[in-house]
Amino acid sequence: MISHLDRKLWRDLRRMTGQVLAVALVMGCGLAMMIMARSLIHSLETTRREYYEGNRFAEVFAHLKRAPDSIALRVAEIPGVATVQPAISVQVTLDLPEMDEPASGQVRSLPDFAEPQLNRLFLRAGEWLKPGSRRELLVGEAFAEANELKIGDRLALLLNGRREQFRVAGIVLSPEFIFESRPGAALPDNRTYGIFWMPYQELASAYDLDGAFNYLSLTLSPGASARPVIAALDDLLEPYGGRGAYGRADHPSHIRVSDEIRVLHTLAIGFPVVFLSVAAFMTNAVLSRLLNLQREQIAILKAFGFTNRQIAFHYLKFAFVMVAIGTVLGWLGGIFLGHRIVDMYHLFFRFPELNFRLDRSALALALLVCAGAAAVGVFGAVRRAARLPPAEAMRPEPPANYRPALVEKTGVAHLLSHTFRIAVRNVERKPMQALFTVAGLALATGILIVPNAFRDGVSEVMDFQWDVLERQDVDIGLTEPSSISVRHRFEQLPGVVSVEPFRYAFARLRFGNRSRQIAIQGMPADGALGRVVDFQTKEIPLPPHGLIVSAKLAEVLGARVGDELIVEVLEGKRPVRTVPLVALAQDFAGVAAYMDLQALNRLLGEGDIISGAGVTLDGARRSEFYRSLKEVPRVSWLAIKDSLRANFRKTTAASIGLIQTIYLVFATVVAFGVVYNNARISLAERARELATLRVVGFSRREVGGVLVTELVILALIAVPIGLLLGTGFATAILKQVNTETVRLPLVLTLGNYSFAVLVVTIASALSALFVLRKLNQLNLVGALKAPE
Amino acid sequence: MNALTGGEATPNLLTMFADVDSSSTSTRAEMFRVRGLTKTYGTSEAEVHALAGVDLDLYEGELVVLLGPSGSGKTTLLNNLGGLDVPTSGELRYRDMDLTSADEDFLTRYRRESVGFIFQFYNLIPSLTALENVALITEIARDPMPAEEALELVNLGERLDHFPAQLSGGEQQRVAIARAIAKRPEVLLCDEPTGALDVRTGIVVLDAIERVNRELGTLTVIITHNAIMADMADRVIHFSDGRVHHERRNSKRAPVSALNW
Repeated sequence: MISHLDRKLWRDLRRMTGQVLAVALVMGCGLAMMIMARSLIHSLETTRREYYEGNRFAEVFAHLKRAPDSIALRVAEIPGVATVQPAISVQVTLDLPEMDEPASGQVRSLPDFAEPQLNRLFLRAGEWLKPGSRRELLVGEAFAEANELKIGDRLALLLNGRREQFRVAGIVLSPEFIFESRPGAALPDNRTYGIFWMPYQELASAYDLDGAFNYLSLTLSPGASARPVIAALDDLLEPYGGRGAYGRADHPSHIRVSDEIRVLHTLAIGFPVVFLSVAAFMTNAVLSRLLNLQREQIAILKAFGFTNRQIAFHYLKFAFVMVAIGTVLGWLGGIFLGHRIVDMYHLFFRFPELNFRLDRSALALALLVCAGAAAVGVFGAVRRAARLPPAEAMRPEPPANYRPALVEKTGVAHLLSHTFRIAVRNVERKPMQALFTVAGLALATGILIVPNAFRDGVSEVMDFQWDVLERQDVDIGLTEPSSISVRHRFEQLPGVVSVEPFRYAFARLRFGNRSRQIAIQGMPADGALGRVVDFQTKEIPLPPHGLIVSAKLAEVLGARVGDELIVEVLEGKRPVRTVPLVALAQDFAGVAAYMDLQALNRLLGEGDIISGAGVTLDGARRSEFYRSLKEVPRVSWLAIKDSLRANFRKTTAASIGLIQTIYLVFATVVAFGVVYNNARISLAERARELATLRVVGFSRREVGGVLVTELVILALIAVPIGLLLGTGFATAILKQVNTETVRLPLVLTLGNYSFAVLVVTIASALSALFVLRKLNQLNLVGALKAPE
Repeated sequence: MNALTGGEATPNLLTMFADVDSSSTSTRAEMFRVRGLTKTYGTSEAEVHALAGVDLDLYEGELVVLLGPSGSGKTTLLNNLGGLDVPTSGELRYRDMDLTSADEDFLTRYRRESVGFIFQFYNLIPSLTALENVALITEIARDPMPAEEALELVNLGERLDHFPAQLSGGEQQRVAIARAIAKRPEVLLCDEPTGALDVRTGIVVLDAIERVNRELGTLTVIITHNAIMADMADRVIHFSDGRVHHERRNSKRAPVSALNW
């Protein structure tokens, strides 16, 4: 049976539905954010771990020029190596019947008659390659989806210059390509770049690699560490054109998932803490108000013999109803948002099955954190009430103490209207209530800045990357470095306006005991297409000697301008040279090292050799150019700027759109809830004062003005703080994204700030209007009858 | 409850009295004309007839004391006179204005320009000082006196910068009076102005009200259930069961100090 005290509790709750909901919603937002982020971390981590284990994802990887199979056996003998999987990996261009632009991709070999030892595929659709089959391949899912490929479709691939038709036998996923993109590319372009798998024999005969391999992956025996294995592997593979082995930590696909998990960790802690502190205070404010209204009831209960503990418990229950509603809202919200974000992850991450996995411990933690926050909020208010001797509690509260506001001491007092004085003095009399209303509004303003800073940062990177740095329309890569005379072949292609050759050379850059493997880019010193710029976006002319590297790379190596870097070339004659670092470049995607083309060729000791060229096109003759390019042999890959750009814009637009919506909803809820709570409390606590103003002849509008003035003062304080806070949030989160694969500049536009201010203003104004309607119901006679 | 005969007889009787009154106060203009005024609260099941047919006239410059037990309808009448509430039926005119059908804006303007209120619990704005509480009204009134002058009238020349919480009950009530009269209202309505005060302080407050009435000629209506205060009035109206029970006129107003507490 429900006790009578509990019945009172329910009726109190019903009377204060609006405020209970406001508190629960703000609480719910914080919890939803926490549950969402923690569950996503849980989902990504466990799914990835299970995928890696189930499909035997390797731990060390190495590309090389060519090594006989016997070398793989010697690799297996390196201490700490468990399993070795040699394979062939090549770059190809392909011809999609319905597309003008040629696409390119990477083909990996699969053992002819057995399952691979490592990096096993997951078959999404179709069937595995039949043993000994020819002219069949498996396609990575991202590319298949982007190009709407179906089982049985035919693709034309240029294998080592020979055009061959292949039948799509199956659509697959690989633990090596959870993030499916061109190696080293920060941005995915699943429409024009794909991953394919074929039987070993097919590739070996096309590329003359019978009995040999050019790619190797391995797992470590339990307890073995990667570093010594990588060192031994590099030594072993060096004579075979080894380009430097790397571990999972440098594996492009692995890094991308880890980056995402790191950002989620920030979200899982930072935002919920702020949301929940605001909610805790709101709980306190609601409870204090209730307790003030019920002073006499408390006195009567105590006079009748209820203990302090019973009374404290009674009001704690009130708070815990809010906690319960908030927690349920948070659970539901977190689960709902988590599902939406997982759906979005499908755009970027390819797992056999990425399901939203609820982190159950997060649910428990949410309840705990929330209850804790509420308990802190309630504690002071309840203790004050419980301590009051009954007789004193039955007397009406004495008039509240006020002081002249600080602003009045500045000598402008005579300029202030009386309603303004009422407002500022009230704000100052309840500094905590003001503080947390300001905190709530500032928080709402701040979180709106984040997704838009993200959007503006991404858009800046795109413009920078493609308008400032890379001004060619298409990059064409050759299968093998070739003589500079190839340039004339490109110049003769229809629609080509200009051609600028480039050279890529795989090398290890070393400074002190730090090193990075990277492709050094050689570009003509007088180049007009590919450019290197500094932090003032001024072009840095390529000097005849020395290297320019990405600022991030210099940071990773710990090198400064003027330092001598050791360049160990990992191809050709593999020269090792000392080259001065002459300047730092600003770039956002990946890390790079740039050299003058001739200087690079001198360093390589290979004469006038290029790896490919960037071209600009006559827009009208694009398709003609693409068609004829499909016929050019020895082209291994293509990067088409417009296509990259469009694809990237599409995927980022979808994901940023979702994040923006989430933050927008959160900000609106917080702004609305905080203002609602504040205004309701003011209205309740000051009903008598407001009624008096009406009685002495103030109109509704003028009395509403007193409350609104107060809110406006708080908002005016909150908004600038919110903009600062948002700037801080954005800086902190973008810092998490500041990695070697991608960096986002902090771009804060007036538009971003204005939007945040606008949203918070509208939400607050609507909320205030909502409460002000209650002012019309103010019972003038009733409010004046007797003191509360 | 309402005996039909009584309900109908009373107005006739009162109208007769009123006629007598007006003849004797022909120099004074009529300010309020109340006829058959009723006010009903609540739904049909639990209807409360707070006013059950009031007939009354109030004249310029009068000091009227309304006497009656709790729940007799005094406060409801005062609230209707002051435009805080609208009657259910009957006639309520202030000069040539009809208050029964007035809308919210009209009533607000009426309160702002013509009426001064004084309550039992002062109802000062706690965040404004004594002076500011008065100045608040002079800011919006049409032809106010300076706030300091209003406070001087109630003998509060000092402590003007104190907040309500720093003032005694009597001081707070005098600030409330100053606030009510600063706009030079035509009507001053006082609901149990001394109800929360001790006798000595009460006298000071009543003295202030009486002085305002005398010096400014403001029609003053005081509700009380303290019969002793009747002697300070020009006219005493006894209320019971939502109607005027009877009234009497004092031939001479006794000074507040002479009231026999």
